[in-house]
Amino acid sequence: MMRMLQLLNGPHDLGRGRGFWSGMVLLAAAFLAYPTIASSFSATNVAYYLLNIPMALGLSLLWGYGGVLSFGQVAFYGIAGYTYGIVAGNLQDFAWGTEAGVLAALLAAGLSAAAFGYFLFYGRVAAWIVPILTLVLALLLATFLGLTAGYQWRVGDIQLGGYNGMTGIPALQIGGLTFQDYAFFYLVVAIVAICYVALRIWVNAHRGQVLMAIREDVLRTELLGYDVRLEQLRVFVIASVLAGVSGLLYVQWGNYITPSAMGLQQAALPVIWVAVGGRDSLLAVAIATFLLNQLTYILSSGGNQSALVIVGALLVAVMMFAPEGIIAGLGRLHWLHWLRARRRAVPSGPASSGK
Amino acid sequence: MVNDAMVNDAMVTGGGGPVLKAERLCKRFGGVVASDQIDFNLERGEMRCVIGPNGAGKSTFFALLCGILPPDSGRVILKGRDVTHLPAFRRVRMGLGLTFQTNRAFHALTVAENLETARRASASASGAADDAHFRAAFGAFDLAASSHLPARELPHHQLQWLEICMALRRGPDVLLLDEPTAGMSPGETMYTADVLKTLSREGLALIVVEHDVAFVRKVAETVTVLHQGSVFAEGPVEVITQREDVRQIYLGRTREAAA
Repeated sequence: MMRMLQLLNGPHDLGRGRGFWSGMVLLAAAFLAYPTIASSFSATNVAYYLLNIPMALGLSLLWGYGGVLSFGQVAFYGIAGYTYGIVAGNLQDFAWGTEAGVLAALLAAGLSAAAFGYFLFYGRVAAWIVPILTLVLALLLATFLGLTAGYQWRVGDIQLGGYNGMTGIPALQIGGLTFQDYAFFYLVVAIVAICYVALRIWVNAHRGQVLMAIREDVLRTELLGYDVRLEQLRVFVIASVLAGVSGLLYVQWGNYITPSAMGLQQAALPVIWVAVGGRDSLLAVAIATFLLNQLTYILSSGGNQSALVIVGALLVAVMMFAPEGIIAGLGRLHWLHWLRARRRAVPSGPASSGK
Repeated sequence: MVNDAMVNDAMVTGGGGPVLKAERLCKRFGGVVASDQIDFNLERGEMRCVIGPNGAGKSTFFALLCGILPPDSGRVILKGRDVTHLPAFRRVRMGLGLTFQTNRAFHALTVAENLETARRASASASGAADDAHFRAAFGAFDLAASSHLPARELPHHQLQWLEICMALRRGPDVLLLDEPTAGMSPGETMYTADVLKTLSREGLALIVVEHDVAFVRKVAETVTVLHQGSVFAEGPVEVITQREDVRQIYLGRTREAAA
């Protein structure tokens, strides 16, 4: 337990120490208290801004910490969403139908990522080709599902629905509790918090260090005796299951999914959230994902057609002026001052050799 | 090719066969023969220097031994097992440690994390229990004081030392070093030579690819000279460095006075 806490407070993300974690607890408390002052409509909206965070955190792990850019995480988002729709829809008469849907969706995302990733990483595909291939996967899926209009394209009772997508997807039910409105909000907050804490422990644990070692120098890591292919495949599967988690939450939110969820525009968005936040900081990515989703939502629900143009312009500006990411950049500045002040106060840091 | 002066040390040292062996290794890149029928034996506890002019095929030979490149033909045998078709990381797990010509420690990780990453490279540790060589080197290079520093903050020579320690972390039987003293001051070079010699005396087998003749004189017993992709000469260091033909291809006329 102590070891877990130590890892959680580890150096490979922004923010450490008592002050930071007190702030995080306050933030969590604020989210938990939010439904007491907000309508269920606003709570559902806030849940929507949050629900893409697992996918963004997965991409941060894969790209920011692991150095492998996937431009097609939405493929696994869509696979999970569609699988859930098919399984939960067909099992609507059973009490455990939606739970089976969740399980099937995560398995489908994980297994398809394992199969696709196996060819990517065990085939030693060059690093710069990976984003192209993953994007192609997403676009292929989107195009294929767009062709599935008509009654002949159905699985059991559920129609895939072509470009109009799959509608009437049932919400998750556990016992008598249906995750809608406030319950859905709490579900999203809990999942986002769990994902952040778990990933932060992961990047500070041994596996995370190996991941960063691979990012810095693939050959060096291999020649320490690591099977780089296996490490990359593992993190690709984790990132894709997290994309699946977001896809699952998305179909809970809207009760529908269309092929455009895997289209070119949607494929670009996670990359933008992660890049704008700062790809090698989980916290920065989570914050940026929340803010940018809110921005896009507000812009587009106000009838503004240029939401994507604005978000795209933001990406260009960030790449030119703050390639580390806006939030990570600001955060590093702050923590750097704090670290310097601390180093002056305590001349020697903890010196533990590898044991 | 002049191979007449080959001295077969393997016969002399004996004891359970060579720990690392290359048989007729060949590698060509297009029309360039980078490695031409190289035969090579390294005994346990031996310290071997591989020298040769630029383009002699040293780096290719190094890459073939550790598995970065597959040979066109020939075999590599590590601890009696044919590893020719094993990927590099499997050879490392079997007991090969190595460092690169350019410094490649992980700059974003601390010294302690670098060593920890090296130590935990696989669950099935073959000889990982034996880290005596590592502890000796870690002490001699005095890295404990910088454990908590990010590797990028270390001075150049300490980074090189850190890499040697990383390669030793899991207790390899053979250590391959590609120009371990490149960029070091003469004092640091000689100190590194001393430490490596001590390791060798304690039973570690080493192959050092090196340019620095002073370093080679100090550490090596046997020297292998590569030239145009094949073994040009092999033998005791004092014999090899006195040979006129070796001087001509490697040391060059201008170095004669120094040699």
